[in-house]
Amino acid sequence: MISDIVFYAGMGWLAVMVAVIVIVTARGRTTATRILALNLLTMLVIGLLALIAGEDRRSYVLDAALALALLSFVSTLAACRYLEDRRPFR
Amino acid sequence: MRAVIADVLVVAGLLVVTIGVYGVARWRDVFLQLHAASKAGFLGVALLLAAAAVEGDGATVARAVLAIALLGLTSPVGAHAIARAAARRRAELRRGRRD
Repeated sequence: MISDIVFYAGMGWLAVMVAVIVIVTARGRTTATRILALNLLTMLVIGLLALIAGEDRRSYVLDAALALALLSFVSTLAACRYLEDRRPFR
Repeated sequence: MRAVIADVLVVAGLLVVTIGVYGVARWRDVFLQLHAASKAGFLGVALLLAAAAVEGDGATVARAVLAIALLGLTSPVGAHAIARAAARRRAELRRGRRD
């Protein structure tokens, strides 16, 4: 079990990181920066879910992490296709 | 002992994730940001998932390993797609400005 102080400090620190990435997404100068920051944002949320799963041996939280990883991959690819030639499918 | 390993993995993962986020927030160029986000982001999240796996039962270990493998497969592909789209977009803009 992850000790309490590391767990709470980690949750707080990851929340700060999420806030920073949200600001980067909102202020991004190019669309590619925004896509990239959203990708990193979902990765940070997966890290948060991993912390929750490790704290109390709750394996079902990692199901959400897996689904989030798959969804973020597909959405990143679709957004890149859209950025490249203005439509998601060729 | 295992709890200590899990704590160390969590702290290491947070450190690596912080490096990645700092790179994305600090740099202005898309390719430099991508350099920070894709590698440091994946490694940090993988360390956090490993911390969950060290302390968990079988179900947790299986899901954590699956998540790490999935992220390891998809993260480079996503980064490549972003880099390609950004490069083509930039070349397009440059051509448009010159003409």
